[in-house]
Amino acid sequence: MSHPDPLDLLRLRLDASTRETPECLHDATLAALAEGALDAGARAAVMPHLATCARCRGVVASVARSLADSGLAREVAAVEGRGRRGWVRIGLPAAAAAILLAVALPRWVEDMRGGHRGPPVPGALAPHPVAPVGTVADAAALRWTAVSGANRYRVTLFGAAGRVLYETQLADTAATLPDSVALTPGRPYLWMVEARVGWDRWSASELVRFSIASGVRP
Amino acid sequence: MEGWAAELQSGRPDAAWDLFLDRYRRLIFAAIRHYAQDYDDVMDVFARVCEALRADDLGRLRTYAAQPDHRARFSTWLVTVVRHLTVDWFRHRDGRRRLSVVADALPPLRRRIFEHVFLDQRSHIEAYELIHAREAPALSFKQFLGELRATYNAVADGRRGRVLGELGGTPPAEEQPAESSLGDIADTRALLERALGPLSAEDRVAVELYVVEELPAADVARILGLPNAKAVHNRVYRALAAARARLAQVGIGRGDV
Repeated sequence: MSHPDPLDLLRLRLDASTRETPECLHDATLAALAEGALDAGARAAVMPHLATCARCRGVVASVARSLADSGLAREVAAVEGRGRRGWVRIGLPAAAAAILLAVALPRWVEDMRGGHRGPPVPGALAPHPVAPVGTVADAAALRWTAVSGANRYRVTLFGAAGRVLYETQLADTAATLPDSVALTPGRPYLWMVEARVGWDRWSASELVRFSIASGVRP
Repeated sequence: MEGWAAELQSGRPDAAWDLFLDRYRRLIFAAIRHYAQDYDDVMDVFARVCEALRADDLGRLRTYAAQPDHRARFSTWLVTVVRHLTVDWFRHRDGRRRLSVVADALPPLRRRIFEHVFLDQRSHIEAYELIHAREAPALSFKQFLGELRATYNAVADGRRGRVLGELGGTPPAEEQPAESSLGDIADTRALLERALGPLSAEDRVAVELYVVEELPAADVARILGLPNAKAVHNRVYRALAAARARLAQVGIGRGDV
């Protein structure tokens, strides 16, 4: 009699019920597992259940995948950035890296995986930041190139510490910064713009840096 | 402490809700949109999420805030809760009715599989045993697996493909194991237990997450507290090698596949 390889047997998912049982892990524990936030002792305590429960493994895998979703990662970065004091202390290079990790990397990873969404948006369709870029005398508005077929743009301005200072969506290719966004001459800022080219499909520009020349009123 | 939590602690749930929603509305939408792409689905699920979070004077949020130790970020906890509420919405009432459109397009046997596996959360074996006992006594397990795969393939292509992936879990492998091994479910199950049962819990989770759930090795490493993706590769490789060795001990070799 011939038998399949253990790998094939496992992939049959014979007993993979996704029903919740009283032994299933709490949401806080599932979230901490997905985030990698459990300490060694707590993690060891939940492993026996996780080894036998397809439902809990599925939830952990699902949340881990969702955290890599570019749209969700952006919102997580926005709320965590606003609420965490630690963000205030990091310098510009680290902030830029953090923004790229939070916003751009998940999108690349998703594309590399083949993604769950539609096919990747060709790079030629990405908007291009026009101004401000580099050291400028004025930054009253953010302007970018139009993308054919885009029906909406989402522009995000980050402070030097990586915090989201301003974000808006509009159909135009320029966004005037409101008075509530006070930019300080000499300090660096980052911004990016995304074009919506389909339902829940966004094509992102690169992250660009600018600062207002010292001695110039913003 | 966040503003909404402070308001909640002060006995002002309405004010807490306003602050909470103002801060997390976009995150909630993004979490829903990760699973549901249809506009009407997204809006209805959002309403359901709000209803569930507001219930019992923000009972869920109150319970979270009362916990002394928060290991995960609040945003990750919220994403987890929204994920559950989204999946539950599709399994019940309005969402289930909408998914019936998907089921209606399937042939009768696949429709039944869809109901058992995707809506009623039964395991593949449970679904087979029910269908075999009640409706199709001549259906072999191998034939069932073929129909099961076809059902997964059919529903994954639609606009509700991602949430259906959540409802049904990871599909069974496309590769068909040797035919003679699928004649008896009890034997197949016993074989699986013999091969993988002795693995440590951590090894089993590593194998399941990496092989079955197809999570990237870096994600598995984070979940298991391993230093990097290479450690996951090593652990999974060693676990599967040990499983194969156990089968070889009882005269079942890879060459038999």
